[in-house]
Amino acid sequence: MLQIQNVSKTYPNGTQALKNVSFDVKDGEFLVVIGLSGSGKSTLLRCINRLIDPTEGKIIWDGVDITAAPPAELRNIRRKIGMVFQQFNLVKRSSVMTNVLSGRLGYVNPWMSLLGIWPAEEKQRALEALGRVGIADKAHNRADALSGGQQQRVGIARALMQDPKLILADEPVASLDPVLSHSILQYLEQLNKEGITVICSLHFLDLVHRYATRVVALKDGVKVFEGTAQEIDRAKFKEIYGEEAQEVRAASL
Amino acid sequence: MPITRIVRNALITALVIAAFIVSLRVTEADFPRLFRDLPKGKDLLTAFLTPDVFTREVETRTISIAFPIPCGSAPTESLLPSDGPRLVPSVNCAAPLETFTLQGFDLQPNSEVVIRWRLPDGRTMTAIRTQTDANGYFTYDVQARPIQSSVDGVPSRLEVDTLTPVGGLKPSQALKDVMDNMFVTIFMALLSTTLATIIAAPLSFLAASNITRKGCVGTVVYYIFRSFFNLMRSYDPLVMATVFGFWLSFGPFPGFLALTVVTIASLGKLFSEAVENIDPGPLEALQATGAPPLHTVRYGVVPQIVPDFISYIIYHWDINVRISTIIGFVGGGGIGYYLNLSINDFKWNQAGTAIWAIVIVVWAMDFLSAEIRKRLT
Amino acid sequence: MPRETANSHPVARSGLASVFVPGLGQFLLGERYRGVGILLGFLLILGTTAWYGEPFWYASPILIWVWNIWDAVSLAGGRARSILLPLAFGLAAAYGIGWQVVEIDFSKANVDRAIAILRPMARPDFVQPRREVNQMWVPVQVPCSSEPPLARREDEGKTAFVMPDCGGVGETLIVSASGLWPNAETNIYWQNPIGNPLMLGEGEITMLTLTSDENGAVTAAIRVPSTALVAAPDPTLPQFHRVYFEQYRPTGGYELSFIGNEVLKGALATVSMALLATGLAMVFAIPLSFLAARNLMGGNPVTYAIYVVVRTLLNILRSIESLIIAIIFVVIVGLGPFAGMLALALHSVAALGKLYSEVIEGIDPGPIEAIRATGANWLQVVRYAVIPQIVPPFTAFTIYRWDINVRSATVIGLVGGGGIGFLLIELIRVNNMRGVSAVFIAIAFIVIVLDYVSAKLRERLV
Repeated sequence: MLQIQNVSKTYPNGTQALKNVSFDVKDGEFLVVIGLSGSGKSTLLRCINRLIDPTEGKIIWDGVDITAAPPAELRNIRRKIGMVFQQFNLVKRSSVMTNVLSGRLGYVNPWMSLLGIWPAEEKQRALEALGRVGIADKAHNRADALSGGQQQRVGIARALMQDPKLILADEPVASLDPVLSHSILQYLEQLNKEGITVICSLHFLDLVHRYATRVVALKDGVKVFEGTAQEIDRAKFKEIYGEEAQEVRAASL
Repeated sequence: MPITRIVRNALITALVIAAFIVSLRVTEADFPRLFRDLPKGKDLLTAFLTPDVFTREVETRTISIAFPIPCGSAPTESLLPSDGPRLVPSVNCAAPLETFTLQGFDLQPNSEVVIRWRLPDGRTMTAIRTQTDANGYFTYDVQARPIQSSVDGVPSRLEVDTLTPVGGLKPSQALKDVMDNMFVTIFMALLSTTLATIIAAPLSFLAASNITRKGCVGTVVYYIFRSFFNLMRSYDPLVMATVFGFWLSFGPFPGFLALTVVTIASLGKLFSEAVENIDPGPLEALQATGAPPLHTVRYGVVPQIVPDFISYIIYHWDINVRISTIIGFVGGGGIGYYLNLSINDFKWNQAGTAIWAIVIVVWAMDFLSAEIRKRLT
Repeated sequence: MPRETANSHPVARSGLASVFVPGLGQFLLGERYRGVGILLGFLLILGTTAWYGEPFWYASPILIWVWNIWDAVSLAGGRARSILLPLAFGLAAAYGIGWQVVEIDFSKANVDRAIAILRPMARPDFVQPRREVNQMWVPVQVPCSSEPPLARREDEGKTAFVMPDCGGVGETLIVSASGLWPNAETNIYWQNPIGNPLMLGEGEITMLTLTSDENGAVTAAIRVPSTALVAAPDPTLPQFHRVYFEQYRPTGGYELSFIGNEVLKGALATVSMALLATGLAMVFAIPLSFLAARNLMGGNPVTYAIYVVVRTLLNILRSIESLIIAIIFVVIVGLGPFAGMLALALHSVAALGKLYSEVIEGIDPGPIEAIRATGANWLQVVRYAVIPQIVPPFTAFTIYRWDINVRSATVIGLVGGGGIGFLLIELIRVNNMRGVSAVFIAIAFIVIVLDYVSAKLRERLV
C-alpha cells in the first residue's frame, strides 16, 4: 500500500509542479497517471523514490515514511522500487550485461562491484532477466547497438534485477512506435500479474483503456480525476486535456 | 540590397585593407629582398635535401716531409725516396707565401687527399682537398703558408692524408645523434602527457559545471579552475619553456615540465567538457536503483567519459611529440636542441638529418594517433 | 582419437614457433593481427632497451617473450591470454627508460630560485607612475694615474665628490652628493666609459639605494665594481668612469614604461605577422587546393600525378613546424618579423591547402546537378553551385588559421622571427622578470581575445 498525502513540489525557480496531490495505490494495481506534458507526471513519479524531494506532504509505503528516510534507508527503499524511463537511461557505451547488472548495485558487495567483479549467480540472474524480456542473445552487445524497443527492454530487465515490489514507469513508450509500445506494456502487465505494483505515466488514452486498472489524471500539478479508465467520458477528457484536444489513438498513428 | 548593407560591407573591406597595410609596415615586409636573396637559401635547401645519414668507413694514410720556411731555418729532408708512396715538392724549401708545386706518387688511387701544414709547435693549419687519379698521382700548387719560422731547428712539415673508402655504408655519427635525441623527444612527450593526464583528470571534474557548479563554494571553485585552464592554455609550450629553462637551466627536464603544465591546462579543459557533455539519464537510473554515490560515478559517469578521455590523451601525445621536437630551441633538450646546435655551427647536412627525422616521426605519430582514435569511436 | 592428443601437436608446434619468433605461433594459429602485433611490440621494446643500453630493462622484452610463449600454448588450447600483462611490461620499461632519458629530477626544482623569479613577476613592468628625474654625476679615474684630477663636480647648485679621487677595481671609495632633493630615495650607480651602467648594491646585482637627508645630501661607501674594466681595451690605462646619483619623484598619473612600450610594439608585430601570413597563405592555398582535390584531379593519369605531387608536398611541408621554416628565412632575409611572417605563411599554405582541398572534395554534387539541369553554363554552375558551397567553410578555416598563426607568431620570435617572442627571449637573457611578466600578460591577452573573436566570427559563418 502506497499512500500519497498532500504532496506539493515547488522548484527553486518558482514553478509549482505539484499542488496538494493525494491518492492511494493498493498492492497489485496497474495505476496509470495521465496528463499533458508539464502537468507534473514525471515529478510525481520521481517524488515517490525521491529522485526529487517533495516540498510538502508525505509519501508512506507499507507504513514507512519515504519522505523522512535518511540516506542509507532511502537507498534500501529505492532498491525495492524499480524505475523505467522514457529515454531508457542506459549507459550507451557499456554492454547490455553491465547495464542490467547495475540494477543490482544496491544489493552486492560494494568493493567488488567497484572493481567491476560480479558473482556468477548475479550474472545468471541478469541473463534470466534478459531472457524474460526476450533479448538474452544481446547480452554482450554495446547498449547503443540495440534498437529503441530493445533498449527499453534492457531498462525493464535492469528494473527486474532489483527484485522490485513496485515499478515506476515514466512514459516508458513515448519514444517508441505503437507496435513496440504494446509489447513493452505487455511486459509490464505480465510483471503486474505476477504481483508487482506498477505506476506508469502514459500519453495515449487507448493504451490507458487497455492496461490500466485505475487512472489518476493531473492538470497543472493538480489531481483532476481518479477512477477507472471507463469513467473518462468526453467531458472529463476535455477537462484533462483542454478544449482543443482531440483524442488520438496510438494504433492509428 | 539596402544602402546600409553596402555601406557596412564597404566599411569592413576598408578596415581589412587598412589592417593589411598596417601589417605590411609593421612586419617590415620587403618582398624584393626575398626574391633577390632567395639564392642564399639554395645552399641551405640543398644541404637539407642531402642529409648526413650514411658514411663509409675511411682508411687514412698519412705521409709527411719536412719543409723549412724560410730556407735555411732548418735542415731540409735529406733524401726523398724514389719509389713507394712519396711526396715530391718542386723545391725543398721556400720563403713565406711563395708558391710551389707539390706532387704525390703511388698513393692510394681514386682517393680524397688532404694537404696541410704541421707547424713546429704541433698545430695544424689550412686543409686543401684534392683527389688522386687511378695511378695514385696528384699535383697541386701550394702556397708556403707557415709564416712562423722553424723553432729550434724543427721545421714545418707538409702532411698529406689519403682517405680511401673501405667497407660498406654505415650509419653516420649524425644519424646516431639524431636517433639519440629523437628518443629523448618522444619520451619527453610520453612522460609529460602521462603526468599531465594524472593531474588533469581529477582537476577536470572541478572545472565541470554539472559536477562542481553547485552552491557558493562550488561556483567559486568552478570559475577558478576554468580560468586557470583557459589562461595556461593560451601559452605556447615554448613560451613556457623559456621560463622553465631559465629556472632549471637547460636540458630535457625543463622542457618536460613546460610541456606538462600546458598539457594539464589543455587536457583539463577538454576533459571537463567531456564530463559536462555526459548524459544525466543513466545517473538518474542508477540513483533510482539505490546504488551508493561512488557506484553511480563508477557505472554512470566513467563508462561515458573513458573513450573521450583516451582519445584526447592520444591526440595530445601526438601534439606533444610535435612540440617537443622544437622545444629544444629554447633550451628544452631533445632533437630541437640538436637541430639548434647544428644550425648554429653551420652544419647544414646534420640539420637536414634532424629535420628529416622530425618529418618522419611527426608523420608517423599523426597517422598512428588518427588510426587509434578512429578505432575508439 | 581423444581431444588432448589432437591438440598436443599444435600446442608444441605453436609454442616452439613462438620461442624462436615472438608472435609466430599465434600467427600460424590464424590470429594474424595478434601475431604481427606481438612481434612488432617485442621488437620495439627490445630496440628501445638495446638503444638505451641499461641491462636492467632487458627484463621487459624477456618477460614479454615468456608471456608470448605462454599465450601461444594457451591459444592452441583455444584460450587467448589478456594482453594487459605484456602491455604493462612494455609500459613499465618505457616509463623507466623515459624517466632516465628525460633526466627527470624533481630535486633540481629549486624553490628559492623559483620564488626569486616569480616575485618580480608579480609586478609586471607595463606602466609606471609619471615622474621627474633629478640627476647628478661625478667623474672618477680608474685605475689611478700618478696625478689624478680632483673628483668633484658642481652643477645647478648640486655638488658631488669622490674620496679619494681615484681607485682600482675592488677598492673602497666614499661618494657624496649635496643639493639634491631632501628626504628622497636616491639610486647610486656606476657608469663605465662606454656608457654601460653597473650596479653598486649587494653582490653588484642590485641597485644601491639610499635616502637623502633633510638638506638633500647623501654619502655612501662603495667598491669600484669588479666588472668596471671588463670592456676596457687596456686595463692599466687610467680612464674616467662616472658615479651617478639619481632621484625620482612622481608627478601624478601613469605612463607607459619603456618595456611596456616595447611589449605593445611586439604585440602589434605579432598580430600583424599572423594576419599578413594568413592573407598571403590564402592567396597561394586556394589555387593549390584545387590541384590537391581528388574529385577534380582523379580523372586521368596526368592530373592524378599532379594531385599526388601537390598532396605529398603539402603533407611534407605541413609536418615541418613553422619554427624550423623560420630558421631558413632568417638566413635569407635576416632577423625580424618579415622572416617570421614568411615562415608562418609557408606553413599555412600547406595547412590551408589541405583543409581547402578537403572542403572541395566534400561538396555536395546535388546542387551542381540541379543548376546544370536548368541549362546553366559552366561558369554559372561554378558561380551558383560551387562557390556558395565552399566560401563559408574556406572563410571559417582561414579565420581559424589566423587564430593558430597568432599563437605560433608568439613563439616564432624565439628563433629570431620578430614579434613578442623576440622581446621575451631578450628580456629573459637580461634577467628582467618584470618585463617577462608583462610579455606573458600581453600574450595571454592577445591569444584569449583573438580566440574569442575568431570563435564568434566562425559561429556567424555556419
